[in-house]
Amino acid sequence: MTWRTIAKKDARAVLDSRTFRWFLGIVAIAFVFGGYMLPLSVEAPTTSDLPSSMVDAVTLLLPLLGIMLGYKAIVGERTSGRLNLLLSLPHSRRDVVVGKLVGRGGLLAVAVSVGIVLGALLVYYPFGTLEPLVLASYLLVTVCFGLAFVGIALAISTLTTSEHLATAGAFGTFFVLVVVWPQLQPLFSVALERVGLASGGLPEWALFVHGATPGLLYERVVEGFYGGASDGPYLGPDAAWYLGEWVALALLIAWAIVPITLGYLRFQSTDL
Amino acid sequence: MAAIQAREVSKRYGTLTALDRVDLTVEEGEIFGFLGPNGAGKSTMINVFLDFVRPNTGQVEIFGHDCQRASVAARERMGVLPEGYELYDRLTGRQHVLFAMESKDAGGEPMEILERVGIEDAADRKAGGYSKGMAQRLVLGMALVGEPDLLILDEPTTGLDPRGARAMREIIREENERGTTIFFSSHILEQVEAVCDRVGILHDGELAAIDTIDGLRQSVGGGTKLLITVDDIERVEVGRIEAIAGVESAWIESEPSQIVVTCSNDAKMDVLVGLDDVGVDVLNFETEEPSLEDLFVEYTGGGE
Repeated sequence: MTWRTIAKKDARAVLDSRTFRWFLGIVAIAFVFGGYMLPLSVEAPTTSDLPSSMVDAVTLLLPLLGIMLGYKAIVGERTSGRLNLLLSLPHSRRDVVVGKLVGRGGLLAVAVSVGIVLGALLVYYPFGTLEPLVLASYLLVTVCFGLAFVGIALAISTLTTSEHLATAGAFGTFFVLVVVWPQLQPLFSVALERVGLASGGLPEWALFVHGATPGLLYERVVEGFYGGASDGPYLGPDAAWYLGEWVALALLIAWAIVPITLGYLRFQSTDL
Repeated sequence: MAAIQAREVSKRYGTLTALDRVDLTVEEGEIFGFLGPNGAGKSTMINVFLDFVRPNTGQVEIFGHDCQRASVAARERMGVLPEGYELYDRLTGRQHVLFAMESKDAGGEPMEILERVGIEDAADRKAGGYSKGMAQRLVLGMALVGEPDLLILDEPTTGLDPRGARAMREIIREENERGTTIFFSSHILEQVEAVCDRVGILHDGELAAIDTIDGLRQSVGGGTKLLITVDDIERVEVGRIEAIAGVESAWIESEPSQIVVTCSNDAKMDVLVGLDDVGVDVLNFETEEPSLEDLFVEYTGGGE
């Protein structure tokens, strides 16, 4: 188990890059800025108000950061030959994947944590309320959301030996999951109505499928747990149980685990 | 226990056969030369040792550890100078060695390693600015970390100047004296000849020969070639020389004017004495061993 050595070296290499330092800084500052702005619009804000106010920024920035951190991590080393050097030392391929995930995901986690803690302090001071448990759970959920994208990008990075393909795959995935998919609900409605599977709005199974991207799941978790939302097709009292925030949380955790696991299994079984 | 035990290792890429049922045993303490032209499959074989490449059939054990199922355990015993690697541009030479030490859970002073491979002056420079030769030295240094029981060197002298190549050979000998088994691949004969106890010649994915260098020479059949310069070549009778036991053939060359005799190693003196007996003064003589080049060409069909 030498993944620690790899994680440490990898995190240091990422921090050596000015682009990444900027990007990590921007993500942290976004939370601080959000925490600064919140008391201007809400009187006597609480920590629970922060997640909802940040949700648009988070669902754009963290996927971008996660993808950026992950997509070249393995394919870049593979094409350059650094992987040959790395794996001629007694590391297993699992050590490499875990090390990269921990090293890069760790940096994302640090940036998010610093930002959220400072942001929450700005919400608290001078007129707000600090809810430590809310703060801690929000932090974990948001880190998990970011890690899902690091994992997805790393998985893509393990699948191919071409940097071009990895780049196209990673940013294509970002574009589809983050930009396009959330806008497609009306289209699905029309399409399902055409084939006679729906009338006036999506059926629940279709809502479930449409709402299963990491970003939409994260929004639901934030609205359900912190925003106090109890209406709408997903969180309303009549909605099916599997559309609720608890299932959304479970699926979000699955996004952080499943893609990278599949990527590892594939990486494990191929020739370099 | 053998250092390397390969059984029936085959690797195909589509229709191309990179390795064809290679059987190979390298005993502990040997310096083994793995010889073959570029593209013969040497690196594929080494990549199987390192579990970069999974063979279609067969298996390899390193000190009894299966290279595929117990790859980390196998690599813990190895120091490797792989082929087609790249350094971490932003890390210094010293940091590279430190990383190898951490990875192998080995102690030691990085500067000692860097001094051994002769790049102590560049210890704190970023490896992005290293020449190919310096990179080879650094990676050799990383391979030496943790006193491995087996050194795997894939074309180690690539990019090295003659001095560097000699330093590399010295390190190989020193390590071998410490008890390390050395597996050394090359397409350059002289290097293999200079250090190796035993040689395997790989050709088109097949092990064409495996023997000591002397053994290979004998199996090719050529004995010694004698080149004799005499005072009066007119008086030499080729027939009488050929009658001497152990002589294969003899002839006279005009440019330069000398007698050429091919014979077994033991018959050399008999030939010289025979010439003296008939009153011919031998001014000078040279012997020529059959060159490994000839050997190599013979085994790899390069002369066709």
